[in-house]
Order: sequence, then C-alpha cells, then structure tokens
Amino acid sequence: MSQPLFSKLPPGFRIQRETNTEEFFINMGPQHPSTHGALRLTLRMDGETIVELVPHFGYIHRGMEKQAESMSYLQYIALSDRQDYLTAIQNNLGVVIALEKGMNVGVPERGEYIRVMLQELGRIASHLVFYGCFGGDLGGQTCLLFGFKEREMIHDILEEVTGSRLTTNFFRPGGSRYDVPDTFIPRVKAFLDHLEGAMRDYERFLSKNIIVLERSIGIGVLTKEDAIAYGCSGPVLRASGVEFDVRRANPYSIYDQFDFDIPVFHNGDCYDRYKIRIAEIHESMKILRQCIDKFPKEGPWRSKEKPVRLPVGRYYSEIETAKGLYATYVVAATTGEKPYRIHTRGPSFPHIAALNKMVQGHKISDLVTIMATLDPVIPEIDR
Amino acid sequence: MGIINLAPKVLDPIPGGKYVVNAIDYVVNWARANSIWPLTYGTSCCAIEMMSSSMARYDIARFGSEVFRASPRQADLFILAGTITRRMAPAIQMLWEQIPGPKYAIAMGACTISGGPFIYDNYAVVRGAQNLIPVDVFVPGCPPRPEALFHGLLTLREKILKETCRKPWHEGLPKDVSTMDRYREAAKTWAALEEMKDEEMAEARAKFKEEHPDYKSSYKPIRIKKEDFPEVERKPFRRVGLTQLELYQKLTAKFPNITFHTHSEEPVETVLANAPADRPLEVMVEPEDYLAAVEFVKNDPEFKMDFLIDVTAIDYDDHFDLVTQLRSIEVGHKIFLCVQLKKDFSIPEEKRPTSLLASVPTISHLYPAAEIKEREVYDMFGIDFAGHPDQRRIFLDKDFVGYPLRKDFSHPEMIRRPL
Amino acid sequence: MFVPSVTNPVGDFVREWVPKLAEFLPASLQSDTLNSVVAFLVNALICVVAVCAVNIGSAPILIYMERKVCAHVQCRLGPMRLGWHGTIQTIADVIKMLFKEVYAPSGADKLMFYMAPLIVLIAPFIVCALIPFSRDLVVADVSMGIPMIIAVNGFGVLGILLGGWSSNNKYSLLGALRSGAQMISYEISFAMILLFVVMISGSTNLMSITLGQEGTIFDWWIFKIPVLGFIAFILFFISSTAEMNRAPFDIAEAEQELTGGYHTEYNGTPFAMFYLAEYIALITNSALATTCFLGGFLPPCIGITAIDNVLNMVPGVVWFFAKVYFMIWCYMMVRWTFVRPRVDQLMDFEWKFLLPVNLVLLVVGAAYITIGG
Repeated sequence: MSQPLFSKLPPGFRIQRETNTEEFFINMGPQHPSTHGALRLTLRMDGETIVELVPHFGYIHRGMEKQAESMSYLQYIALSDRQDYLTAIQNNLGVVIALEKGMNVGVPERGEYIRVMLQELGRIASHLVFYGCFGGDLGGQTCLLFGFKEREMIHDILEEVTGSRLTTNFFRPGGSRYDVPDTFIPRVKAFLDHLEGAMRDYERFLSKNIIVLERSIGIGVLTKEDAIAYGCSGPVLRASGVEFDVRRANPYSIYDQFDFDIPVFHNGDCYDRYKIRIAEIHESMKILRQCIDKFPKEGPWRSKEKPVRLPVGRYYSEIETAKGLYATYVVAATTGEKPYRIHTRGPSFPHIAALNKMVQGHKISDLVTIMATLDPVIPEIDR
Repeated sequence: MGIINLAPKVLDPIPGGKYVVNAIDYVVNWARANSIWPLTYGTSCCAIEMMSSSMARYDIARFGSEVFRASPRQADLFILAGTITRRMAPAIQMLWEQIPGPKYAIAMGACTISGGPFIYDNYAVVRGAQNLIPVDVFVPGCPPRPEALFHGLLTLREKILKETCRKPWHEGLPKDVSTMDRYREAAKTWAALEEMKDEEMAEARAKFKEEHPDYKSSYKPIRIKKEDFPEVERKPFRRVGLTQLELYQKLTAKFPNITFHTHSEEPVETVLANAPADRPLEVMVEPEDYLAAVEFVKNDPEFKMDFLIDVTAIDYDDHFDLVTQLRSIEVGHKIFLCVQLKKDFSIPEEKRPTSLLASVPTISHLYPAAEIKEREVYDMFGIDFAGHPDQRRIFLDKDFVGYPLRKDFSHPEMIRRPL
Repeated sequence: MFVPSVTNPVGDFVREWVPKLAEFLPASLQSDTLNSVVAFLVNALICVVAVCAVNIGSAPILIYMERKVCAHVQCRLGPMRLGWHGTIQTIADVIKMLFKEVYAPSGADKLMFYMAPLIVLIAPFIVCALIPFSRDLVVADVSMGIPMIIAVNGFGVLGILLGGWSSNNKYSLLGALRSGAQMISYEISFAMILLFVVMISGSTNLMSITLGQEGTIFDWWIFKIPVLGFIAFILFFISSTAEMNRAPFDIAEAEQELTGGYHTEYNGTPFAMFYLAEYIALITNSALATTCFLGGFLPPCIGITAIDNVLNMVPGVVWFFAKVYFMIWCYMMVRWTFVRPRVDQLMDFEWKFLLPVNLVLLVVGAAYITIGG
C-alpha cells in the first residue's frame, strides 16, 4: 500500500482516491508535438491510464484585450486574425458584425455573398487541417499532408481576394476591403469540383479504417448534458447530439437564404466528432454551390464608407466559426474610434476545460486522439 | 567540444596540415549545411506556415530538412515560429540549451524579431527572440510565407558553409541591449539619413532651377475615380425565443431590483420594444440578487438558460461590471446579467493595484463552464469569487504583480503607443 | 584437433593461400596448426567486414529509400538538392550526426545509456550472419539456424529497455516499457511462424530451408502449401513489423504521444545507432522473410525452360537483394499508410488473435503434412 498522494497533490488536481499502485505525474508541453501549440497539460497517471488532467494556459497569452483598449476598432480586426489563425477570415467577420451593430450600417447583397463564400471557404480550410491533424495524431503522417494539400488551394483563393494567405484582415463595417476579382467564382467552382473527388479519397482513407474505428469509437465520450454545461459549441457540441449552430439559431449575414443541414451525431465520441466535421465540409460545399449560382454579378459590394465611430453602448455579436461559437463583446464608454474594452469568447477555451472530463480512465494515446478531435487553437484560448 | 576542434591545433603546425584542416572543414560544413533537422516547435500563426512549408505544395524535404524532431536532443535548428511570451521564455531557453551543438536558430515572423503587432501596450510579449537566445537568421513577415522560410533556410546554409573548425562553434550570450533601444538607435540613424537626403534634394532642386529657369512640369497626377457606394440599411438578424421586453418583465416580476440601463429619457418598456431584434437584453442585477438570479434563469422553465457563453468584466473608475452572458440552447434567447461591484476603497491606495478589490459569489457550481472563465476574470481584474473551487491565476505566472485589464495597470515593460 | 572453418568459396581460397604465404616465413614459425588458426582469423575478419558492409552499407540506402517512398506516397518530392534526386542526402546526415555534440542527461546511468545502442545493434548483425545470400555465400551455416535467430532476436528489446530506463525520463521509460511488452509478446508469434517453416521444410538450417524451395515459383513455401503458406507469410509480415517497432506498430516511439519514446534523450552518434539499428533490423527481417517464404536466392522460375534458363543466369545474390528490397518496399508502404493502434489493442491483437491463429496454423500444417505430403 503506497503512500496516498492527497496531502501533496499539485494545484488543480482534485480526485481523492486510494490506490495500490504508485501514481506519477507527466508533464506534456508546452513544446510537445500533439498539444497543438503552446498548451501544457499535467497528467496524473496510473501506469498508462490517465487518472486526472490539469491544463495550464497562458504560454501564448499576448495581452490582446489590454492592447485593444489603446487601439482603434479597425486595428482590432487585424488582431482578431491572430487569435484563431486557422479561421482568421471568420474572426474578422465576428468583430465586424459587432461594429456594424454599433454603427448601424448594413451590407449590400454582393458584399453579403462575398462574406458567406469566404466564411465557408475558411470553414473548409479549418476542417481540412482538422482532418490532417486527426490522422497525424493517430500516427498516420500521410493524412497530415493530404489535409494540407487541398487547403493550399483555398489559400490561393484567399490570397487572390485578400492579399494574404493566413492573416486576412479583410472585412470592414459595411462590406469588405476590396471587391472580389472576376476569377473568384470560376476558381471556387474549380476548387469545389476538385474537393469533391478528394474528399471521397480522404474518407476512404480514414472513415472505415479498422484501426481508426478501434481508436476513436467510444473514446472521449462527452454526454449531451456535459457538453452544454461545459459551454462546448460547434462540432463538439453537435457531435454530442445538440442541434445548435448559430447559422441556424440566429442566422447572421444571409445564412437564412441558403438550404443546408446542420449535421448532428449522438454518441459524442471521437469518431462522431470526426464524422461531423467531414459532414460539415460537405454542407459548406453545398452552401458554396448555391452561392455560385446566386452570386450577383453587378451591384455595389459595400455600403457607403463611414468613419468607424461607435456610440456609447455595449455591442455583442456571435458567429459560428469552424470551431464553434465565436462571440465579440465591445464596450464603448465614449463615442469615438477607440473601444473601452473588447472581449472575445473563443470556442476552444471551454473545450479544453472539458478535456479533463473526457480523458479520465483512458490511455495516454487516447488523450492525443481526443485533443485532435477537439481541434483547439491555443492562441485563441490565451488571446 | 568535439574531436574535430582539436584538428587545427594538431594539424596546422605540420607542413601541409592546413590543407587537411580545410578539407575537414569543407566536408563537415557541407554535411551540416545540407542536413538541418528542425525542432517541432510552434506557438501561433507562424507555426501553421512552418507546417505548410513541410507539406506537399512547398516541401521542405527538398532541402533535406523534413525530419522534424520532437525531441530537442536530436534537432539542429530551432525555428522560433510564433510570438514569444514572457511565460514561454524560460521554456524556450531550456529547449535551446537542450539542443546539442552545433545548433542554429531562425526567428520566424515579426513577433520574434521585435514583438511585431504586440509591441505597444503589452505586458506579456518578449520583444524579439534575440533577447533570449542567439539568432542566426531573421525571417520577416506576419506570418512569412513558406518561400520566405526557405530563403531563411538557404541563408542559414550559406552561413554554415563559411564556418571553420579553427574558430569552433560556440554559444554567445544574448546582448544586454533591449530591442527597443536598438530600434530607437535605428530610428535616429534613419531620421538623420532622411535629413541628409532632404538637404541633398533641396540643393539639387535649387541647382536645377538655376540651370532651367523657365521649366514647367507637365505632370498631372492621375486620380482613381472613387466609387460611390449606396447607404444600406442594416437588417437586424432574426430573433429566436422570447423578446427582450418579455424577458425583462418576467425577470422584474421575480426580482424587482433588476434595472435596465438606457441612454434615453423614454420609459424602459418603449426602449426595449424598439430595440433591434439581435441585441441581447442586458440588465443590471444587485450583487445580493446575482446568485439567485442566475439560479432562477437557469432552472425556470420559461428561461432555460442552460448555456454559459462567457463571464467577463469591465473596469470603471469606482466599480467593476461583471457581465454574465447566458443563452438558452433550447429556446434560443440570450440574457446578459450585469453586476455592479463597488471597489473596496478601504484598502490603502498603494496596495490597491495588487489586491482583490471586489468579491462576488461564484456560479461555477451551476455552470461548470464558469470555472475557467471566473479564473480568467480573477487573473485579469482581481475580482474575488467567493466559493470558487480552484481560484488560481490562469494566463499569467503566479508571481505576476498586478491585474492587467484594470485601467490603472502599469508594467515596467509596457511601452505606450505613440499618438 | 578441432580447427574452426568457414565455408566456401572465400574460405577455401584463404585456406589455400595462407600455407603458401607461410612458406616465406622462417621455418621455426611454420606449423599446420598456426596456418589453420591464421586462416580462420582472416576468414573471420572477412566475414565481419562483409556483415558490416551489407548492414551499414544498406542503411543509408534504406533511409534514402524511406524518405523517397514516404515523399511519393505523400505527393511530395523528397530530398532533391544533394546529388541526383538527393541521392547523397543521407551521407550528409550521417556525417553531421557523427560530428554532433554528445551528452547524457543529468541523472542518467551513463554506462547503460551509452551501452544500450550497441546492444540494440547486436541482434540484427548476428541474424545477418546466418542468412544465405547465395548458394555458397553464407557467413555461418549453422545447423540450428532458426532456433538461433529466435534466441538472438530478444537482444533488441534488451537494448531498448536499457536505453529507456537509463535515460531518466518518464517518456523514455514509458516507451521502453511499451516496447518491452510489445516485443516480448510478438516474439512468440514470430517464433511460431518460424517453427511452421521449420515444420514444412523439415530443417532448421537456413540453407536447406532455401534449397528446399528449389524448382518453380510454386515451390516457394509461400505457395507450396495452398493457403496456409500465404497465411503464414501475412502473419510473419505483421509480427515482424511489430518486432521491428515500425509503424503502424511503433507505439514505442509514438512521436505524437511520447515525443520519440525510448530514444527521446539520445543525441548525436548514439541516436544515429538507434536509427541505424531500426533499418538494419528491416534488412534482416526482410532477408528472413525472403529466405523462409520467397525462395531466398533462388530465381523465380515459372516452369518454362527457355525463360528459366535466362533467369538462372542471373546470380543468386541479385535475386536475393531484389526480393529483400521488394519486402522492404512493402514494409515502407505499410508504414506510410496505416495509423497506429493503441498499446492495449496491440496486446489484444497478439494474445487474442495472432497467437491462436498461429497455433491453429501449426496444427493444420502438421495435419496437411501428415495426410497430404
């Protein structure tokens, strides 16, 4: 009977239990290949089984919110790129919608179509990275490269439209920085045709692979109640059987004009979280195809330019990024160009908080799988 | 360090020996320059571009560098991809020390060169990797494209090819000059150069005027026609669930102390009825009512606020506003409960920046999601959550002084943004 | 008097020439015993050099091949800059590794730490010495070849366990323990399949196992016993992949989980030796598969005399290495295609599936031999 660890448990660990084995602690990160950035996890292990996990944040805390207080609203759009860099274009929209609510400006139809199309391209790009990381973290390095291969085509499109591959800084209150070039629609069309075939291959690669099934079905189950209680959103919440998507619940932009499904799975395990993202890629492709058909060839792409000055008040916007609910809370204490405070709610933060719940009793290899299916982006947590 | 560093000492005195040393140099440098194995390390946006560079489109493998090692002991190259924060800095130094020599570092992106977008008003970011470890190559960009990283890699290759075992590889101490000083020096030099250039230009202009007294420019600036855009009315997004007015009335029926803050003279009901559909209802709750109100909206069958969006705070001169953002997944409406917490001014003024100024009951037993959010508010504002199970700093070190998101926060490393 | 001997033809050549050269020595030094001892030592030296040359010489080729195969599976180009299509990339890697700083982490058991990579290298070298490369090209033609291989193969796990334990790192220790459990389990089915081969060939000598497959391609053990041979080959493929700690069974390294497993703390030359051992094990296992199932150095005759004569003209070594490299290519394709199972699933697979199937295979094989052949 070994000494119980109760009196000397490091901060954060809570489970009190008696064991006949010697528990030990493992430190994972901040530099570890599968923590998706600068996240640090301390694991309390019993052999290969995880008893408890405590995440440590802040290794990439860059003080964005403090900085935003001395910036203008427009400058903050550029900072929002650097939060969740995989869906930079979606973060831009989240900030811009909050500003639009304050300025009370609308967007012409063509501008809205540009927004929706870039949103969905960004979603596909992020989910492709998920596909790669999921396969890669399971040990199949080849998946990682396959996921990134198609993503480069999206980056080509984004680069042509916004001038930047990753940090787009594209949307502005009332529309966007530039109009899209004439090649935009044909390129998106070509990309979709290509992706259709590619996705078929990729699904064949992972979806029915026996090792993937063994390693992901029933692993890291998050029940419906827990998912809601921990504030999970996006694919993680929907994989647990909750049909909640801001695009459907509070449709922003012109999402109410499109015909698309919200895929919902009910087991809440790693495999469902994987399947749901694959299904979402298909739904995004559906939306993009509808956009291509209805895209207005003529007409203004933005509304009249106005100085970005917000009246006193508090403005809130929420959008559905590839990771989940991305909310921006802008406080304007005086009418002017500078915010009093901007707060961002990133979707990954609650997911990592729920990680402890999911990994208990699983092996260290399962932790890697679960981390991959949560698809966290650490700079967005730490801001 | 190694056996080859002895070679020049032994061979150079022997006639013809220096050719042997040169040959050793050539072979070893050739091997080192062409087989650079990077360390798997990345913190933010640049890491994704670093990954892209090893993927199919760009393929860092062409240069023999695709062998990303997860363990620093097997790596040669430290690509510093992403912002370096104060909390990460010791880890980076440790990683650097663990890489066996000869080792090289590439600072990728603006953040690792100077702090990049995070240079002003920032208490968390290290302004430049060269303050921590010796850097060989800087790759600018935010983030740099993969091609830029390759250029950095090839520049490093050229640098390695010039090395010699006569002057063995060694680890230099980072310079004591901070980045900002260096930047200011550079800015001064730049300004002086600009002045010189202006003088020269003025001279040249005067000379030209002397030589050509009746010269008239035919240059006309081309103006791009500014597009005219129409004003577009904003259409509020669709509302789901109860209206703001209904929510407000139901809440006030239960808690009469709850108020709604308007900026106009009109009665609250009219303001609420006219509010845009997509503006969430934000009500002021007394601190005593806070816990009861949260419990009520969570369990009441009409409200069903089962989803916590966020807990955050705003610092004003004499009080904090704690905003609890709740939402009902099932019904769809949102409600923001705002608690005004008076700052505790009984604490002596010199101790105020480092002490907790207000206290509020925790709601983490109702919403598990609130636990980390409240830790964040505690970390950033110094608000005490009574009954919180694990109230520790979350983003900052435990010995960090002060609470950064307070308006009067100051940090020795913070540089004010010039106006 | 017992005089050790080494087999033909190089051995005979040396034995013939050593007495002739000894005649130039003073008469007092001339004796038959001395001559045969010297001849033996010279032969032994040649054997050691040959084994080292085959193993260490192939390792860079294999690393290059691995990088290229991996790159082409992943729609990339792989090393392109050094030499034609990056052919001398691994030479640069090796030279760089040799001249890198070497140190052991604090708290490590230095002796064990530096000895572990050497121990890992022992097993594949000994196995390589037993493999017949051609009709008269084998270093040690021992009659108990297969039992010897089974006995020696356990050495690898010893080195890995030592390396992981002596590193004073929890990741290394976890990796080493995983690897120990895995290799000891898969050793059993590995041995079982070799026993199956022994049973159908009726010999434990690798040369006679090879020569037993003489004839057409359908006389190879993989095809000779219908279905059973092929099943045995697949089982051998799986268990040897696990024996070598190669993906998809690389749970001991598991870069995504353990940042490198048992060799996390190794750098420079010791790490290069681990790296080398992995690829040498690849060669020996492929050679073993070739010898036991694919007819070793025998040409793939198909029964048509005209073609067979042409095929027979090619030396056996060429056939042998062609088959070995084909096997290596198969191992590489598997590595870059599959994802990694979890550690307990891997154990389940061995004890609950592979081992029972092996036992059944042995029984069915025995029945086939008794009844049918």
